Amino acid sequence: MTDVIETKRSKKLAKGPFGAVGHALNELDDRLGTAKGGRTFLDKIFPDHWSFMLGEIALYSFVILLVTGIFLALYYIPSTAIVTYRGTYLPLYGQKVTEAYASSVNLSFAVRGGLLMRQMHHWACDIFVGAIVVHMARVFFTGAFRKPRELNWTIGTTLLTLAIVNGFLGYSLPDDLVSGTGIRIAYSIILSIPVVGSYIGFWVFGGNFPGTMVIPRFFVLHEFLVPLLILGLVGAHLALLVRQKHTQFPGPGKTEENVVGTPMFPVFMAKTTGFLLVVGGVTALLGAFAQINPIWQFGQYHAANISYAVQPDWYMGFLDGALRIWPSWTFHSFGHTIVFNILVPSVILPGIVFGIAYAWPAVERKLTGDNEIHHLLDRPSDRAFRTSAGVALLSFLMMLFIASSTDVIANFFHISLDTVLWTMRILVVVVPLIAFPFTYKICKEMQNFKGAGKRKTTNVVSRTSEGEYVSTASPRYVDDIPAHLAPIPVPRFINDVEAPEEDADGSGTRVVER
Amino acid sequence: MSSGIENHTPVSLRGLSADDPHLQPAARNPERVEKVIVFNFVLGTLFGFLFIVAYIQNWQPWILGGAMAGCLTLLGIGLIAWGKYLMPRGPFVEDRHEFRNSDEDRSAFAAAIVQRGGGLVKRRKLLTGLFAGGMGVFSLGAVFPLLRSLGPLPKGTLFHTDWRKDSYAVDITGRRVLVGDLAVGSIVTVFPEGQQDTENGQAVDQTVLIRVSNQDFTTMKGRETWGPQGLLAYSKLCTHLGCPVGLYEQQLQLLVCPCHQSMFNVNNGAVPQFGPAPRPLPQLPIYIDADGYVRAQSDYREPVGPGFWERA
Amino acid sequence: MMIRSLLKRSVLLSILGVVSAGPLVLFSQGADAAKQPYQTQRANSGTPNSDVVVKNANGVVTSYGNSSIMYNAPSPSLINLGRALYMQNCASCHGTEANGVPAGGSSGAYPALVGLGPATINFWVSSGRMPAADPRQVQAMRQKPRLSDSQSLAIAAWVNSLAPSYPYIPTPNLATASVKNGAELFALNCAACHTIEGMGDALASNTYAPSLHNIPAYQVAEAIRIGPGNMPRFTGNLSDAQADDIVKFVTTYISHPQNPGGLGLGGLGPVAEGFIGLALGVGVLAIFGFWVGEREE
Repeated sequence: MTDVIETKRSKKLAKGPFGAVGHALNELDDRLGTAKGGRTFLDKIFPDHWSFMLGEIALYSFVILLVTGIFLALYYIPSTAIVTYRGTYLPLYGQKVTEAYASSVNLSFAVRGGLLMRQMHHWACDIFVGAIVVHMARVFFTGAFRKPRELNWTIGTTLLTLAIVNGFLGYSLPDDLVSGTGIRIAYSIILSIPVVGSYIGFWVFGGNFPGTMVIPRFFVLHEFLVPLLILGLVGAHLALLVRQKHTQFPGPGKTEENVVGTPMFPVFMAKTTGFLLVVGGVTALLGAFAQINPIWQFGQYHAANISYAVQPDWYMGFLDGALRIWPSWTFHSFGHTIVFNILVPSVILPGIVFGIAYAWPAVERKLTGDNEIHHLLDRPSDRAFRTSAGVALLSFLMMLFIASSTDVIANFFHISLDTVLWTMRILVVVVPLIAFPFTYKICKEMQNFKGAGKRKTTNVVSRTSEGEYVSTASPRYVDDIPAHLAPIPVPRFINDVEAPEEDADGSGTRVVER
Repeated sequence: MSSGIENHTPVSLRGLSADDPHLQPAARNPERVEKVIVFNFVLGTLFGFLFIVAYIQNWQPWILGGAMAGCLTLLGIGLIAWGKYLMPRGPFVEDRHEFRNSDEDRSAFAAAIVQRGGGLVKRRKLLTGLFAGGMGVFSLGAVFPLLRSLGPLPKGTLFHTDWRKDSYAVDITGRRVLVGDLAVGSIVTVFPEGQQDTENGQAVDQTVLIRVSNQDFTTMKGRETWGPQGLLAYSKLCTHLGCPVGLYEQQLQLLVCPCHQSMFNVNNGAVPQFGPAPRPLPQLPIYIDADGYVRAQSDYREPVGPGFWERA
Repeated sequence: MMIRSLLKRSVLLSILGVVSAGPLVLFSQGADAAKQPYQTQRANSGTPNSDVVVKNANGVVTSYGNSSIMYNAPSPSLINLGRALYMQNCASCHGTEANGVPAGGSSGAYPALVGLGPATINFWVSSGRMPAADPRQVQAMRQKPRLSDSQSLAIAAWVNSLAPSYPYIPTPNLATASVKNGAELFALNCAACHTIEGMGDALASNTYAPSLHNIPAYQVAEAIRIGPGNMPRFTGNLSDAQADDIVKFVTTYISHPQNPGGLGLGGLGPVAEGFIGLALGVGVLAIFGFWVGEREE
């Protein structure tokens, strides 16, 4: 038996041509069978149109929310027990405040990096919901929600709802004057629900408003239950995306049966990781230079205090706007009250809006009779009805958002508050009604105009010896222009004309590139 | 030069030769791009160091955040540029596969559920029925601790405040309010004595006391004694959504709610004349005792705050 | 004979009694003025905790107050100057006897100024609201003052000489004030109109709660005591110490807010934050996305 001498080189050879990494992957494959699936995964092709990056903005701002949120959770105390503030902010020094408020202020002033983390967390939330809305609009207008992706659309709409809810819960945690007012309004909305309203209100709040339980309960929901749901749904959302592969716009070489783009590894991973860093960087930029939610200026929430110019965070604005402009209609008889002036704007309206969102894939299937599988996207102008309906709904929501800042508008433009309110009441109805036919007309005109909105392509204009000008489309990529079409330099002297080097058809044509 | 079209037709990743143009960097001048990316990475790293120094030295949050922003953004831009310009330019193509399985597989799957499972249910109707019933009862029961233990039943809580006959009106510091404290056009937030320190007391009992005149003032029929020497007491809880109606415009004689701009006319019983509030603010019957203190005649004659189902 | 002298004495005594009791009457509830649109009510004085009351030789109170705020009457030597300035700048709207002018045009009455107290006149003039830039505006807005502080005092002195009244010009002592109390009182009493950050906002029917930034301390105190325009007046329900605390809070933390988080974004709260978050946050990132991805073929 020969002794096998273990040399460095022989060990290296034993590992195979891919070195230690290959060896480790082999070990993994022995146990989990990852080699085939792994390669398929790494070879996955991602179409990389820029509008597909919008969902990534949402995903990565959620990652930032998780990371900054863990930091905040280590300092925040979800308790309404009364303590005396003894920190560095003088107007609060000596005030009796809740532990939730005191810990949030201490986080802002006494914890190193605390204010930065708090602000990044809050900005990331605003960006998160904004990115979801923009991403959802892209999916809607390009028809990416159609078969087989209806389930993903449903998951996405649910994610939007959860993101909005979690945002509301989160900014209510510091128990400051502004967010506490929002909680009071939420309590009244719950009370307005017929039959069971007061019961649900008392159960959620552990008694009459404000009670001592709502902050700890909001903390559990915001910290634990809702992020868990969001994480799970995001996972499902991405898994479906991987399984069904991403959609793509029609173009050269792109069909319903293939995907054209860049491979997962290394191109997509590099670009997407870079984008994660950029999302983090932009959030850090906002968190560093733009102050958000300065709770120390608002003071502790007390039920008898109120500030003017209080709006909820932007994504709740459509509810606040609806509440401001809806008329004061209630119905009471038979010893009961149905509080329509709260129910309609804050319960029924969002129910209808989100209901339309959830139902749209089925509605469109019914209306168009289209049950085919679609992997190629529509140009929005090709689907005039869908695009117009979407624009009308978005303009309706935008009017509600604007209605939420009636007092700021009145102050800024020096108009009477009453005028602004009546104007918003009218605009909220009129603008969507105008937007629909307007958009429809634009779409129809774009459909009839070939090449509208498309990139201009290069044309090569050739002049025949008879003096006729002929224009042909040139290849897109400049360095790929065939040599005989390459431009020749202008002669310095008229008599110095040289014939072109290659004159493929011998016709002596001169070429001018436009 | 080779023909351009073929270089830009999508190819599959597998089986490419090493000098295939699809594997070339996308940039026309990779060396220059690499220099730019190097610059980005180096500058980003320097920002990273700045972040560490700023943290140790406890500099302002904007320096800390700006350093983090610079570090992350520059590293990110460099990485994106690497992926976009220096990595294989593609485009690559991959086939989709139909998700749908064969008709036999579909039938077998449906058969497994419908026939095997359905048959089970049909044969043992009693068992399945009883089991379903039992699980139903349990599910119903499970709801009780989940919901009911969360808080008490509302019962009559929403119908009363803590104002009683002869309650002293005190301000937030607990000082009893004298009639002489208020001039015409003054406003003060009051609570029944003892409730000003509790959050629940504040939430329900908060009342604004305003003075519209020096003579007794009647807001509406039946309330002749409720405005002694021009003092009027209204519930501060807006009847729209419960925000405190602290905004008093003494010349326009309006109480405006800051949340959604409901406006209540102070002179005729706080009837809403603009905005989304549906009902007037309840008025508290008050009187002035022999020492000049403002006291309540009784509790509010109707529930305060926003509407709810049980409110008549 | 005896009866006539007795009568004379009793009449004289009663006149004396009325004249000396006058200031005392004014210390208690103010007179009721008829409610007219935009008519300022008679100011009620009544500072319940005046430890110090200084009277001059004729028994007229020249200053009162305590260690938190001292209220001083404008010097009588300014009366002649005040009369001249008033006739030049104010009489055309408020009348040569400061009695006001009934409804002129569409803006309602120009209010009577008699009996409103020197602090009222001084507040309106020294904050630049008067002389009114546009008399037809519903609410006179704060401007760069056209008359200097001493001219404003002079006018106040003359108007007050017509019918002496309260409150006098306050001088708050900020050294003894507490910003913590000021913050708490501000949140309860002031934030509902002026916003918790003191930015001001639009109220009903073209009226406004102005911004509280960069206002001199005495003007804040005057506004609290007199209740200018639609602002309620805080007389007996806020002690001088409490008013002093609010003044200190407003002139420090409201005028110069601590913004360690970066730019204050105008103190507008979530409205501004939403704009920035969407335009700068999502917008910039979408532009980055435009670079990261490809364009359509």
